[in-house]
Amino acid sequence: MSFDTNDTFVYQIVGRDIHLYQYIYSARTDILAGYRIRIPDSFFGDQLVYPDETIASGLRFEGTTLTKSFVTEALEDTTGYSTGTDISFSTTTITGAGTDHGFADLDRVRIQGSTSNDGDYTSIAGGGSNTLVFAASTFTAETAGAKISINQIPLEVASPTEVSHVNLSRMLSLAVIDYIKGQLADLSGNVELKEYYMREFWKKVGDDKSNKIKTGISYTSNTYAVK
Amino acid sequence: MTIQEIMERAKIKETNLAIAWIKDAIHLIQSQGHDSLATWKVDVVDGVREYALPLDLIKLRSISIKDTNDDRWKKIRRLISEPTVTEDNSP
Repeated sequence: MSFDTNDTFVYQIVGRDIHLYQYIYSARTDILAGYRIRIPDSFFGDQLVYPDETIASGLRFEGTTLTKSFVTEALEDTTGYSTGTDISFSTTTITGAGTDHGFADLDRVRIQGSTSNDGDYTSIAGGGSNTLVFAASTFTAETAGAKISINQIPLEVASPTEVSHVNLSRMLSLAVIDYIKGQLADLSGNVELKEYYMREFWKKVGDDKSNKIKTGISYTSNTYAVK
Repeated sequence: MTIQEIMERAKIKETNLAIAWIKDAIHLIQSQGHDSLATWKVDVVDGVREYALPLDLIKLRSISIKDTNDDRWKKIRRLISEPTVTEDNSP
């Protein structure tokens, strides 16, 4: 059983791989008949060893990717949300989330807090003001009681067309327009114009990021300040 | 914003080219920051130290290992330098 993995595992990036090591202050061990035993003549002290146990889905990478670049609905319109202890499941239907909560048929939703139905699902036609319908045998039946949250999430378009939306905020979509203008200028050999549009592109990307960072400035009042 | 609206604003007529450039722009945005994140999970195998980075990963934010004691993934640290001894065959 792994424990305190933040202190006992380290990694190193080597090309397209990572090398994973476990830190131990001990000697090498093995499991014999369910008991972990120290291997005789093994060095005792600080050392890095290969992972000494199998952990299902134990290694998690977090990062950015290109998947879900195009979606069916603008990010700003993806607002369906329902939460409470009155949400219940049959094998095909959620009761407690519907058009009253901003959802629509064919929406992609993320369920959290359920006893047995957490995950991402796509609804089908037939929903109502307080219900969402899914394909047969999607859920495990569950009565109301648990504190459950249902959020609408972007539904990916695998083969984008002109009516597909870019999975970006409006500010970043405007930045993309500058990027395309820059590439068009590059194609026509106008490097100066390209540089102008690329500057605009990065400016908007920077704006989008700084919009999410809250900063404050405080001043001390001087002695004779009117308060 | 739809692809059509972007094309009209940028005055470009070729849809496929526009989509390719939009992907390039998203790639640049995702390379510089973390606009939207994804996670990948793989099994840790006893005695194996090499694990491939996800092929569609653009920018790595963190690597975590599951603490089975309390069922949570915990971020792990990167080694600054290579271990002095690397022994592949008999860990």
